[in-house]
Amino acid sequence: MSQPVVHIARFNLKYHQKPVLQDLSWVINRNDNWLLCGSSGTGKTSLAKAIAGLIPVPNGEVKINFNPESSLPALVHYVANWYQFKDLEGASNFYYQQRYNSSVTVTTATVIAELEVYGKEHRLQFEEIEHILEALGFTSLKNSPLIQLSSGEHKKLQLVKALWLKPQLLILDQPYNGLDTVSRKNLNVLLEEIASAGTQLILISNETELPAVINRFAEIREGALKEISFEERALDLVEEISKPVPSFLNNVSVSSTADHIIKMIDVNISYSGKQVLKNINWEVNSGEKWLLQGYNGSGKSTLLSLIAGDHPQAYSNNFYLFGNKRGTGESIWEIKERIGLISPELHWYFDASATVWQSIASGFYDSSGLFCNPGATKHKQVEELIQYFGLGEYKNRLMNELPLGKQRLTLLARTIIKNPEILILDEPCQGLDQQQTQHFNKLVDELCKNGTTLIYVGHFESQLPGCLEKRILLENGEVKSVEPMLQTI
Amino acid sequence: MSNYFNTLPLREKLNQLGVCDFMDSSEFLDGVNALKGKKLVIIGCGAQGLNQGLNLRDSGLDVSYTLRKEAIEGKRDSWKNATENNFTVGTYEELIPTADVLINLTPDKQHTSVVTAVMPLMKQGATLSYSHGFNIVEEGMQVRKDITVIMVAPKCPGSEVRAEYVRGFGVPTLIAVHPENDPQGKGLDQAKAYCVGTGGHKAGVLKSSFVAEVKSDLMGEQTILCGLLQTGSILSFDKMIEKGIDAGYASKLVQYGVEVITEALKQGGITAMMDRLSNVAKIKAFEVSEELKTIMRPLFQKHQDDIMSGEFSRVMMEDWAAGDKNLLAWRAATGETAFEKTPAGNVKIGEQEYFDNALLMVAFVRAGVELAFETMVEAGIKPESAYYESLHETPLIANTIARKKLFEMNRVISDTAEYGCYLFDHACKPLLADFMTKVDTDLIGKNFNDGKDGAVDNRALISVNEVIRSHQVEVVGAELRKAMTAMKSIKTA
Repeated sequence: MSQPVVHIARFNLKYHQKPVLQDLSWVINRNDNWLLCGSSGTGKTSLAKAIAGLIPVPNGEVKINFNPESSLPALVHYVANWYQFKDLEGASNFYYQQRYNSSVTVTTATVIAELEVYGKEHRLQFEEIEHILEALGFTSLKNSPLIQLSSGEHKKLQLVKALWLKPQLLILDQPYNGLDTVSRKNLNVLLEEIASAGTQLILISNETELPAVINRFAEIREGALKEISFEERALDLVEEISKPVPSFLNNVSVSSTADHIIKMIDVNISYSGKQVLKNINWEVNSGEKWLLQGYNGSGKSTLLSLIAGDHPQAYSNNFYLFGNKRGTGESIWEIKERIGLISPELHWYFDASATVWQSIASGFYDSSGLFCNPGATKHKQVEELIQYFGLGEYKNRLMNELPLGKQRLTLLARTIIKNPEILILDEPCQGLDQQQTQHFNKLVDELCKNGTTLIYVGHFESQLPGCLEKRILLENGEVKSVEPMLQTI
Repeated sequence: MSNYFNTLPLREKLNQLGVCDFMDSSEFLDGVNALKGKKLVIIGCGAQGLNQGLNLRDSGLDVSYTLRKEAIEGKRDSWKNATENNFTVGTYEELIPTADVLINLTPDKQHTSVVTAVMPLMKQGATLSYSHGFNIVEEGMQVRKDITVIMVAPKCPGSEVRAEYVRGFGVPTLIAVHPENDPQGKGLDQAKAYCVGTGGHKAGVLKSSFVAEVKSDLMGEQTILCGLLQTGSILSFDKMIEKGIDAGYASKLVQYGVEVITEALKQGGITAMMDRLSNVAKIKAFEVSEELKTIMRPLFQKHQDDIMSGEFSRVMMEDWAAGDKNLLAWRAATGETAFEKTPAGNVKIGEQEYFDNALLMVAFVRAGVELAFETMVEAGIKPESAYYESLHETPLIANTIARKKLFEMNRVISDTAEYGCYLFDHACKPLLADFMTKVDTDLIGKNFNDGKDGAVDNRALISVNEVIRSHQVEVVGAELRKAMTAMKSIKTA
């Protein structure tokens, strides 16, 4: 029997003096491909980073034994649950609306330039990448600047790099976040391919559709790692939160004064000749609940950016919001006041210097970060929502120090705090576990009873709120279909 | 055209230099109303032009761009910036006669030719807006008497103006109305509405005058902002090389050190910056900076005198006329310095290490900020104006050095600032030659605290703290920073 690939013993980890992992042991043998699950904040990401050598191991032992006979690079490669990119001067000081602006000042490298640098650094063969790009539907994005990629596309770029590298051990932290259904299936096929070529996998995910090569399952609970069976893996561990919705959000009518919340007539958007939205016609009436779907890159986030006042090309289109034509003297802040928005991009670009409390309170002002004192009433409402989402112990921490799931809950609280006329929820539950997702979707149903208009983006039929009535499907920037939702969901 | 400031009687000179009012947020309750429904036409679509235009339009205002015919026909970058963001673009002849407010966001050097070309096309009673007063004050541009002349100057690069606006905030902004051109008395209301349109009203607005803005802006950029940062960076680097410190380490310590050190300055003034040092190091940095102030004070005074008398502008405009002969030569020389040519090493430098191992840089920053501030205030500039042009802007400029060193800093700043920076640098280096012979690696390159037990005399420490904390730049700064608390902090390298 060969040595284990990874041998972890007595591993301890604390977060703000509180033990997270205690005397954890884990042995990963050759031919093992693991799934690691557990609720948000249990230390999955920290454990993965320790294996990859990205954080110090002050306490305990983490040993990696590479296979000297393997032709694959003797590396542990960790694909983070969060992507990063920099501009050409090495800074990453971006804002989320930036990708919609058109400016000749080139600020970031293109996808292909980025991949060339990466390939050179790791001495990779360029012929091998085409197949990966193809499978993840990335070929057409080769010449796009990084700033223009959506969150799902950034996730794919991370995956392309990892699959191209084929390290001996590959750890993927929430790899399915933001991927559409087809891309998820294709990712699983690609993972099976590299696994059969010798790469061992550790997948951190709460998803159920996994590559067939995953043969071991573990969860972290109460600081320890425990092997579980295939059947146990999807069981939820968090107790159901059944607190009542804070009264300031409940039973308050929010129906809009305008009949048409949104009316788009032949809306077109293009950058330097590349068309991303084509002749979009869409009407949303007050109180309607819409599901917006489409593959990664189909134009969903561009469409939503028009509604949220974040897209400069709104001014040249025939497009009405709340009954008024855009570009007739309204300010974007008057528009934003009536909208509660969350999206993966908003999360990614959110103010890193804000605490959980400030981030939630900033929802009253539609700002990224808090710039004024909200006063006693709002103060109380922030506290109520913090309790509701179970964020009490984190409220004075910087949001970006929290596990991804807690960050997302913070931003969800921010989105709903002003009980807006329209909720735009673009993959709101990305990074949450299934129980949290179900719980949030129930809250959405509850809030929407009072006349709220809803636009919801979600890739998975099983993870949607029940109140959705209509579906609009985008494909290549065009409306593919508009249809009523079936009652069964 | 003659220097406007020099045509004024002393009383009026002092009067205009003394315009300085940090505006209360209640002054902006009327929002953008003074510009609502008016036609705003921006000349130029570079970084400031494009980003200010995007903000103004997103605030519900009617914005279009006018460019020279050649820029439109040649589909130059400015044309692409404007059209691809769906703005109307037209020639001077097409758009200027329709403009209620014409916003000049072209580079300083082009102001005379641009304003001369557009003035005959402007309609009666329209407004002309500048973002820098050089053309009016130093070149003495005479604007038609029916035209209102205002200034709105966001104190940040164009990209920040946009980034802060969409975050829901803004950047500190300076506004002014030219007393010779406010026939209808509407200038101030329009300037305030403009600030609301770009988001500046949320981050603090200083009401100034064209004269005060120019005289303080020139002084700040020549001395502390660009001049002394350049001199200090080069001298620090050269000293480390001379004393055998690893070149890659020295390069990184200086390049990113200025940014890290001045980040503390931005958050809490000279006090916060000095407090990052240990007690022994603080006392040493205090002594070194006092010595630097004594040595450099005459040079700071000479710069302020030449700016006030118009001598600086005269000499620089001669160089303009000579095709920027000196400027280009000096720029080329800056690109060739050892600091510029040595890439930052692949070494990890902790945040605190940037203070502990670069005590000399901390001393340079304190000396430069205080000297620039003191010299401006002595010359009749109000403390609030002097604060903006010294302490406030230092971290912004340091940020450009962190990106790509001095060549980048000089590329980003205006040609006027760059010219003044070289003048200062060339005079300052010889002035500090003797001082630098005494400097060793305990002041720059190695940790000052090494080998010391950290003990200090209580009374010595108390009196040093007292001097640092009671300086006027600290008193004024504490007040002004309250309005800017939300400014984004810059991450460390």
